[in-house]
Amino acid sequence: MNFLCRKTLLFFVTITLLWSTTGFAGGTQYNMRVDGLACPFCAYGIEKKFTKTDGVDSVDIDLQKGLVIVKTREGKTFNEKKLKEIINDAGFTMKSVTEKER
Amino acid sequence: MKTILKTIQWLLFIVLVLIGFTYFFWIPSVQEPAYALEKTWGKKGSAPGQFNEPTGITVKGNEVFVSDGRNHRIQVFDLEGTALRQFGVNDLERPMNLTIAKNELYVADYFADQIKVFSLQGDYRRSIGTPGTGPGEFTIPGGVAVAENGDLYVAGFTTQRVQQLHADGSFVRQWGITGEAGTFGGKLRYPTDVALSKKGTLFIADGYNDRVLAMGPDGKLLTKWGGPFAMNIFGPFNGWFTTITGLSVGPSGNVFVADFYNDRVQKFTQDGSFLNAFGIESSGPTHTTIAVAEADDGSVFVADYANHQIQKWRPGK
Repeated sequence: MNFLCRKTLLFFVTITLLWSTTGFAGGTQYNMRVDGLACPFCAYGIEKKFTKTDGVDSVDIDLQKGLVIVKTREGKTFNEKKLKEIINDAGFTMKSVTEKER
Repeated sequence: MKTILKTIQWLLFIVLVLIGFTYFFWIPSVQEPAYALEKTWGKKGSAPGQFNEPTGITVKGNEVFVSDGRNHRIQVFDLEGTALRQFGVNDLERPMNLTIAKNELYVADYFADQIKVFSLQGDYRRSIGTPGTGPGEFTIPGGVAVAENGDLYVAGFTTQRVQQLHADGSFVRQWGITGEAGTFGGKLRYPTDVALSKKGTLFIADGYNDRVLAMGPDGKLLTKWGGPFAMNIFGPFNGWFTTITGLSVGPSGNVFVADFYNDRVQKFTQDGSFLNAFGIESSGPTHTTIAVAEADDGSVFVADYANHQIQKWRPGK
């Protein structure tokens, strides 16, 4: 009986934790391929633009893969046109974008 | 058929002559013994002595000050690389090129659009400028220099200008046309840094024009250099650049230029005569030499962006 109680408790705790984690993340991750990111003076410009954009949670630059990775807060999404516009404003051209739920 | 062959022969001849001219007139030879890499220190991380993208460097006496970009702090070392102190975490967003004047450290903050000033011990003193593109305002300042009278010279990366301001931040004048990148007609193309000589000559790293501009105290162009005619022709040869990200005038009076995409420092006299070049080649995808400073004993320190480290170079004998 004691063993069953423990197992049930563990099950509910796990489910609650999983639910709360996904609840906190919630937003969308955009992986944008952008050429010419080798120079930080330029790459930082993209990072700065996204950092100061409403709803953006984090920005990472993957130099090896030439990717700008933007994660948004829950409920915040961007369409491709908006992403292209932000990248263009920073002086770059977005080659492609993929997105996934966080 | 014979005519075609003759035309090809002539074309080849012209190409060879042009290559000969280019080599003779625009590729100077090294004028000094080679610099030797004495040591490097640091690796990627956030602990003292580690870096996450070093982006600026300057030297004062026996201390080396480093902009630790993504750790948004300044780290201070002795000339052998021993970590002495760090500061700025709460005041800096993305520190870039540095300068020291009158025992104060001036930091160009890329994300804050301001110049941040600290004591050399690390106490925050003040911020200069507000974000914007008007006179006395900054958008992405890349580097700063300070004159004897306290005037500031600030390179605005995306505003395509270098501003001169009084110490209180009031506008004096500017080089370049705000927001208009160009190579001719007094325009700049993404200036990244500035430095002053003791005589008041202003050196501008005209970053994406791949050239250095030297301005006299009257604001007029004294000379410029970087590839043929200093007109945005980039390349890997001596005296040519491929994107300048930083420059400094050392205690020796020479001008040291961080030639980013060529992974090297280039050393010049103040009139632009090429003296030497040295650096660590990058294994990609980014590059090594982003900023450079000379110490009183002639050692040269390089902020190595790709390898998250500092390089120390010793002059050749």
